[in-house]
Order: sequence, then C-alpha cells, then structure tokens
Amino acid sequence: MSADNHEDLQQHVQKYKKIGWLLAIFTVITVALSFWELPTHGLNIIVGMIVAAFKASLVGLIFMHLNHERSLIYKVLVFTLVFVIGLFVLTYYSHEHPLVFKDFDGYTSGH
Amino acid sequence: MDIPYTTTNRPDTGLYNAKIGIWLFLASEVMLFGGLFSSYIFLRIGADFHWPVHELQVLPGFINTLVLILSSVTVVMAWANLKMRKIAQYKLCMWITILCAGVFMCLKAYEYYGKFNHIGVKLTDGTILTGHFPEGGYRVKLEEGTKVTINLKTGDPSYFLKWVTTENPKFKNAAGEDVLLDQQGSVMSLLDVFLPGDWDKSSFGQLKRTMAEAKKTSVELTAVTPLTIVAKESKTFGHTGKTITFRDGTIVEGRAVEDKMTLQVDKVDVRAALDEEKSLAWHYLGDEWKKAFEEHGTEEAEKHKSFDKNDERFLRHVKQMEIHAPTVAEHNAKHGGAKHSAETHAPAEGAHGAEGHGSHYPEVVLERKDIGFWSSFTPKWNNYYAIYFTLTGLHGLHVVAGALVLAYFLLFDGKRLKEDPEHLANRIEVGGLFWHFVDLVWIFLFPLLYLL
Amino acid sequence: MSAATATHDHHGEHAHDHSHDHHEIGFWRKYIFSTDHKTIGIQYGLSGLVFLLFGFFLMMVMRWTIAYPGVPMPGMVALGNLPLVGGFFTEWVDQWAPGGIVSPALYNMFGAMHGTIMVFFGIVPLGFAAFGNFVMPLQIGTIDMAFPRLNMLSYWFFFISGVIMFGSFLLPTGAVQTGWTMYSPLAETDQMGVKNVWMHGHTWWLLAMVFNISASLLGSVNFITTAINLRAKGLTWFRLPFFTWAMMVISFLLLLAFPPLEVAALLQLGDRVFGSSFYLPTGLMEGGAKLDIAGGGNPLLYQHLFWFLAHPEVYVLILPAFAIVSDVIPCNARRPLWGYKAMVYALLTLAFLSFIVWAHHMYLTGMGTMMSTFFQITTVLISIPSVILLTCLMITLWGGSIRFNAQMLFATAFLPMFGIGGLTGLPLAFNFIDLFLHDTYYVIGHFHYVVAPGTIFALFAGVYHWYPKITGRYMSDLLGKIHFWPSLIFMNMIFGPMLYQGMIGFHRRWYDGGKYFEQITSGHLWTNELISFGAWGLALSQVPFILNVFLSIKGGKKCTSDNPWGATTIEWAAPNLPPHGNFITEPVAYRGPYEYSVPGMERDYLPQFELEATTPVPAVPSSQAHF
Repeated sequence: MSADNHEDLQQHVQKYKKIGWLLAIFTVITVALSFWELPTHGLNIIVGMIVAAFKASLVGLIFMHLNHERSLIYKVLVFTLVFVIGLFVLTYYSHEHPLVFKDFDGYTSGH
Repeated sequence: MDIPYTTTNRPDTGLYNAKIGIWLFLASEVMLFGGLFSSYIFLRIGADFHWPVHELQVLPGFINTLVLILSSVTVVMAWANLKMRKIAQYKLCMWITILCAGVFMCLKAYEYYGKFNHIGVKLTDGTILTGHFPEGGYRVKLEEGTKVTINLKTGDPSYFLKWVTTENPKFKNAAGEDVLLDQQGSVMSLLDVFLPGDWDKSSFGQLKRTMAEAKKTSVELTAVTPLTIVAKESKTFGHTGKTITFRDGTIVEGRAVEDKMTLQVDKVDVRAALDEEKSLAWHYLGDEWKKAFEEHGTEEAEKHKSFDKNDERFLRHVKQMEIHAPTVAEHNAKHGGAKHSAETHAPAEGAHGAEGHGSHYPEVVLERKDIGFWSSFTPKWNNYYAIYFTLTGLHGLHVVAGALVLAYFLLFDGKRLKEDPEHLANRIEVGGLFWHFVDLVWIFLFPLLYLL
Repeated sequence: MSAATATHDHHGEHAHDHSHDHHEIGFWRKYIFSTDHKTIGIQYGLSGLVFLLFGFFLMMVMRWTIAYPGVPMPGMVALGNLPLVGGFFTEWVDQWAPGGIVSPALYNMFGAMHGTIMVFFGIVPLGFAAFGNFVMPLQIGTIDMAFPRLNMLSYWFFFISGVIMFGSFLLPTGAVQTGWTMYSPLAETDQMGVKNVWMHGHTWWLLAMVFNISASLLGSVNFITTAINLRAKGLTWFRLPFFTWAMMVISFLLLLAFPPLEVAALLQLGDRVFGSSFYLPTGLMEGGAKLDIAGGGNPLLYQHLFWFLAHPEVYVLILPAFAIVSDVIPCNARRPLWGYKAMVYALLTLAFLSFIVWAHHMYLTGMGTMMSTFFQITTVLISIPSVILLTCLMITLWGGSIRFNAQMLFATAFLPMFGIGGLTGLPLAFNFIDLFLHDTYYVIGHFHYVVAPGTIFALFAGVYHWYPKITGRYMSDLLGKIHFWPSLIFMNMIFGPMLYQGMIGFHRRWYDGGKYFEQITSGHLWTNELISFGAWGLALSQVPFILNVFLSIKGGKKCTSDNPWGATTIEWAAPNLPPHGNFITEPVAYRGPYEYSVPGMERDYLPQFELEATTPVPAVPSSQAHF
C-alpha cells in the first residue's frame, strides 16, 4: 500500500467508508438472524458464524490490506490458521468420550 | 548507526520491520484468542447446565459493535490522510478512534456493573431464582460471643468492620479486656509502625504489638454484642452458616440467629428443577406467581409449538419467566399480547441493576437449607459467565492497550510528524492493524456471547 | 589470517570510531538496561546459567530424600548458621525440613520448581534467548535486532518473572507443589486453605508465567523479523546457517504455542482467584466437603491447552541443541554439513508436526479412542524428521579430520545421548505401552536423556565454541575435557538406571523413593542410591566448567584471530568483542554457510563473507564503516 499515490488514497478513503456501512448493515443482519429460529440452534450458530466470518474477512481484506499483501505474511497467517483450526477440531473431537459418560449405555452394549 | 528498513521496505521481502513484527504478533494473538474460543467450544459442548442464549442485553453489545466498526474506519482513514499529508483530518480521525475506545469501555463497564450486582440462587431442587439484594449483600446475624480471628500478617479490623452493620459493636480480647476497634483500624496499624511507643494502650495496634512479641500470627477477639454482617460475596470466601471467612483472612465464627437471604426476585427458571410443579420457587413466591408462570408457559408453548418439547429453545421460552410487574395483580392484568415475547427476550440483568432497589420485584426470604449455590453474575455463577468475563475482559484490555498506543502516536509523536511523516504513517498503519484485529475479535465475540 | 597486531588494530580502530560516532553510553545503559543484542544475550546467558544451577540444586535435595528417606540432610540445619540470612533460614528450615529431614511438602515443592525452572528459566533462556541473541544477528551480518528496545523489554520481563518465581519460595505457603504441569483440579485445590488468594505460591507461579510468556513472545517476534528483514546482502534463504534456521523455527514455535498456555494460565488464575470453574467438574469434593463452586468445567481442557504449548516446547528445548551442534560439528570435522537442505526441510516438518502431537501426553485421560489413534500416528511420524537431523549430523562426521577439542567432545556426545532419548521415547508413543510406563521413572529417564545429556551438552559445546567471540579469549581446553568426561559418565549413571527403574514400576512422584511400596521395589532400592551418587558426582564435575567460564575472562589464552576455529559463518567476520554495531565493514555473503575442505583450495575452509579464497578479512575500516 505504501507506494499509493494521492488519487488512489482518496479512492481508498471512499471505499473504507462504504465498507464501514456494509459492516454496520451486516451487524443488524446478525442480530436479526439470531432472533429468527432455524430448525436447530446449531444451524443458527453456523449461519451466525458465516456472517461473522464474512464481516471479519471484509475487515481483514480491506482495512488490513490483506487483499494485496506480500506472500510472506500470507504464509505466516496460513500456518497460524491451520494450527488454530487444529486446536479447535482436535479439542472438539476429544469429547468423543468425555469425562461425563453421557453415552455410557452405548459404550457398554454397543461395542 | 540506525536499524535499516524502519521506514522503507526491504526490496526482496517488500516489507518494513514493524509490519513483519505486527503480523507476527497478530499471529500469536490469533492463537491466544483461538485458545480461548476453543475453550468456549469445549465448555459449551461439555456444559451440564442450560447454556444461556440471549441472556445478555443485546443493545449495549450492538452499540459497541457499531462503535468499533466506526473506529476501524477512522483509524484506516487516519492512516490514508497522513499518507496524503492532510494533517488536520488525520488528527480528527485519530481523536474519533480514541473517543470510540472510550465509549466502548464505558458501555462495557456499565454491563459489568449490572452483573456484579445481580444475584443468582440455585435452590436445592435445581430451581434458579435471580434478583437483587435489597440491602446490597447477604445478611447474617450472629449471637453475642462470636469469635473473631484476625490474621495479623494479612488483615486488620478495618476490613471486616466495613461489613458489620451493628452500631457500636464491642469486643473483648482473650484476657477479657475491652478492645477498641473502629473503622480506622488500618490507619492505627500504620501509625503503629511509624510511632511505636505509648500512644494508645487500649488500641488494636497495641494488641497487635503484644501479639507480635509473643510470636503469634493472629488475634482472637470475642464480640460482646450480637453482630449483623451484610457482606458482598466478593469480599468473603463464602459462609458455612457458622463461619464467615473474609478475603483478608479474618474469620468470624459464631452461632447464626438469622441466616436467611432476602432477595428481590426478577426471574424464575425451572428448567433444571426436579419437579417444576413442586418447585421450591412456589413455596417462596406463592401460588399466584405459579399461576402466572403456568399461563406464561402455555402461551409461550403455543407460540413455539413447532419445537420439540425437549428442544433447548422450547425450554428456554417456556420454563423460565422474568418477573417485571410491580404487583402480581398488575402482572396478571397486563399479560397477553406481545408483552411476553418481549419479556422473554428482554435483558436479564444490567438495566435492572439500577432499578433493583425499587419495589418492582417480589421479595422473598430464602432459608439457608434451601439454597444450594449462590453467586452474583460473576465468573463464579457458571462457566458461561466465566468465559464471558475472560473473553470480554481480555478483549477490553486489548482495546485499552490499542487506544493508549494510538494516543501516544497522536499526542507525543509530533516531532516525527514534522520530520519524518512517512515513518509515522508506518507506525499508524501498524497500530491500525492491531486495532482492526481487536475489531475483528469483537465481530466474533458479539454473536457468540450475546446472540447465539 | 590476520596476525595479532591486526586484531589489535581492529580494536584500536573500533574504539576510535565508537567514540566518534556515538556519545558515550553510561554504565547503566551499557551493561544493565542495554539495547545491544550481545549484552542482552550475555544477560540471558548468565541468568540462564544461574537458574540452571539452582534448578540442579533443588534436584540434589530431592535425590537425598529419595536415596535416604527420613534421614536428616547434611548441611540443611547448618543453613541457619550462615551470616546475615541465617535467621531467616532457621525459620524456613523449621517449616519445611524440621530437623533437616526433607518434608514431603518440600519434596513436592522442589519437584514442581525443578521442572519449571529448568524448562522455562534454564534451557529456553540459555539455548534460545542467550545464543540466539548473541549469535544470530552476528550470523546474519546485521548491526542489531530489528527492535532493540523490545529486546531489552523482553529480558526485563524475563527477569521480573524470575524474581516472582523465586520469591514464591519465601511465601508462607511456599512455592507451588503440584508438579510442573500444574494439572487441575489438584493444582486448584492445592493451598486453598490460604485465604489471601494473591499470596499463594501457585498464584505467583501463574503470574510469573504470564511475564515469562510475554518475554518469549517479544523475543520471538524480534528474532523472526530480524532474520527475515535484516539479513546481510547475498544471504539468501539457503545460504542461512542452520543455526539461524533453527532459531527462526524455534521463534515460530514459541510465537504460536505459547498463547494457548497463557490461556491455560489465565483460566486457572480465574478458577483460583475469581471463583470460576473452568477446570472443575460438577460435584467436586475436597476433604469430604463439597466445594463452593458452580462446576460444569472439565480438567481435560487444561491438559489440552497446556500440552498444546508443552509439546512444541519440547522442540524448543531440543532445537537449540541441533542448532549449535550443526555449527560446531562441521567446523571441527572440517566437512560441509551433510544434507543441509534436507536438514532444513526436516526442521520445518518437525516444527509443523510438533503442533499436532500434543495429546500423546494425555493417553490416560479418557480421551476418545479416535483421538488416541490420530495422536499415535503423528507421534510416530515426528520421529522421521528427528532421525533425518541426527543422521545428517552423523554422516557429516564420516571421513572428516576431526579436532576433538572440548566443544567437539560435547557435540559428538550429544548425538548418541539424544539418540537414546529419542529411541526410548518411541515405545511411549503407543498408548498400550504408555498405559504401563506413564508417570514412571522410565518417562523421566526418557525426557532427561533428551534435555540433560542432550540439550545441555550441546549448550556447553556452544559456550566453548563462541566464548572467543564473546571475550576475545579461549576457554581452557584441558579444563573442558576434565569437565566433559565425568559429566558424560555421571549423566548416564543418573538417567540409565531410571529407565530400568521405570520398567520395574517406580512412580515418578514417590517422595521416599519407593520404600513404602516394598512389593514392587524390594531388591531394587539400591538404584536410588546409585542415581543420587551420580547426581552429586555430576554437580562436582561442573566445578571445572564454572571455574573455566569465570577465570578465562581474564586468564584465558588470547585469540590471535577473529576466526579462531577457522569457521565459515558470518559471525566470525566481526572483530572479537564485537563493538556496538558489530561489524567494521558491512558483511556480504558470497556463498553457502558450510564451505569446508573445498577441493583444490590451499586452505581447508572458505568463509561465507570472503570474496576470494585469498582475500583476508579487511583489516582497515572502509568509508562505509558502521553502515
């Protein structure tokens, strides 16, 4: 971004304002969606997180200039994201037989 | 000898130092919040209580989201304006950003305050009542002869005396002499350090000195008068009925004459009750509230009949009710129409913190034997509030830190602004990247904690 | 190479330049609150050595009570006779070791603190922060770290965390007593009798860790940025010495693995101080009474967050060793590092895999079988890159003309010692074997083989290797050898029998060394005494090293050249005792880092920083001095 000239920057400022409005609108949508009860609450969470991820990507791509950044930074972020997702997924699945044995019946009879 | 590439980009990497630095730092921040979010998932999946949904006030959270979005726009505009050398606009944008941080933190403080003063009580049958203490704390009246043990290393009488509401409580020491205790206890012990000698023989300071000479670590006093103690739970380690341990190590031990909780109830939740028909709530609140609750339940069940009867959301609507009306009669008169759906989604705490002392809520006096667990809406109440405070508290710290850094660039970097604006622009960009990250975290926090 | 006079010229010139370019820095800025990476490296190094020694002392007290349970420890009571601090010690010994007999509480306390201090205050600061700070910027030919002030902050955060950690020994509760892993819920109910939550050894441990983690994060951001953006001209990625690669990878491990530990520590702090129950399940009892908690938490969460750090941390402990050894071995075998690129890729793979093996520490927690299988596979996979690293180093030795000086002895000893450590780890990767060996001395033996004769030997090699650059003098090689041989013997005398003990079934937390569990241990208790004598012998054999480090500052043989070992990497282009700003002329890298025994050359090495084989290091500063 550092090599941008005056006109480009002026255009960017306009773009930032537009994105700001878009984010505000999507915030309203998030709130509204949460009151609209889908067949399961899990779906509500997924939809809510999709909207949040969309908003987050707007912030990341436009405000944080990730839409045209150097490859080095992408590499760092990709690795970080892989590890975060690993942390999420692996802790999630370690609940298969958590300390509270909810499926104790299935555990003894099924196997 | 200057470090290269602070202002200009290194040709082969295309980046200046601080930009690499901040992105690496943000990567570690992603892991920090990633760890917290994964804890959230883990706790939520494993929760053995009804995970609160829509329990927080949406409005402050919603306003805070907009405030942070605004500040994100202004901070990136500040950078662009500085790049174009529009100094006045740059400064304006920075001021708005910092102001937004202030607004955000004020709203946060307002939300926290409401929770600190809002009490949840889990009765022994699983029913949950929430409300406020009309006196501002849990009240215990202890008989005369109550033993007070003050830890000399960590405490002094001024701490526990703050929560004693008895007028002119009197104490005796082990030898049977009267001991003068007053609210100035801590001042006394300070004076004791600076003015050793014979300034007040009957004081606590003297007693403390005697004890220190005898190598004792605590002082035991006996109350001559009955003691009434109204303490916030954050100041004690809980009551066991006979013993109250204060945070400074003072232990008050005696027979309780009165050990009941007076609560202004603002919500009944029978989702976890063993038998909702015979819930202890009705024992205290009476049959009229039970009737109102049942009517409310039928009405909500009608509205949510598409749901399975065991669906968490069905239970949330049907098996809990907020109590708003000034009187039961008025409540009954008012119910019907859209009122209840508004109530169910209405904020459960926060806003009521301020009104809590009015006569809007039915007051009950709960017997200790019926109370299973109680706490204000702090991390102690349940793991939802625990992770709520951890996440928002840590996020709040980031907001404060980011605002301080940006304020430093705005107020104390004038020299750089004149001499090397390009370098300052880099600094603003880096500070801005951090600020956007803080916004980005909030974008996920808001729905996870307030909405879903 | 340049003669003694030339070296002196360097110093003369640099002193002149120095006063010319900068105003004199005062004592405090120069030695205490310095922003110079070399001073900070030395600060980290000295603190690290002190902590390492202290952690070792804790262990010797533990070894006494394991070998002779219930027998008063010699010298313990005599602490009270010390001048000035004697009175304090009398009280302390009365509380924790009445009559000189080590109490179980003291044993637990020392056990927990031995682990904490060795890992977070000994080896990481020494291997990563000290060597990394001193050597890495020199090796990539830059004047300083990218963020010198953050670097200073990093050291002082570390220092504060050390003060808090050591202060916790003096609290009325003593330091933390629940093992270095601080497993909940034990770690949360421990010391609960103390009413002032801020005055627990445990709370202080958590606070100290928050500072320690912040220090590591600042350090690693700084390291990576420096390595990426401040490399000398011509120093492309694959001309970076393996040492720098390893430092960069370690930084990434610290950067991404430490935050989850910070989360774990914060949540535990919440449980202890703010009454939450993140790790406390519903209905938890303590001493027959129900705790006043909401419950609903899960101790498994703590273990996940903890081991998400602590497994990569194992590689943070071992990679500095590989980093140092892979510079020392080629230099003293006079052969290029065999399979340099393979090693770099192995390093990156190792780092990546190290993030997804953490739950092999948790086979006994009742975690799902699917997870167990996943983590067994990744754990076995990670041995592949480790073996590649080790094999490359061994092949490097093949056919070399090896100089067996002190650093080379330590470096070569590292290879089999790490080999034993690694191979004994393989059985533990499988949950059905781990079921029997978990929490026994076998595990202790395994990881100590990796970090003690492994990492610490490599760190010694590093000290002997770079000492001339730091002080301008050699360490005594004779003392070095007197240091090496007994160390090697005693290390094996300590950790070898532990593997045997573990297979018998000795539990790692027995305060009395297993005397009470006679049906398991009878006939084997002599191994306890053997190990303890090994430990005390090891302590004695460190005396020559300590003397060597301090006496050689003034009394060591002076180096006649800036490149005393005939090494090829850029740090040897800087004058000995590098000035602030490091280099006389801006170094340029012309070739790869390990050009030893180049065919057809008269001299057996061709440094990275020399244009032609014949061009000496420029002795006279050019006009670009202090670029």
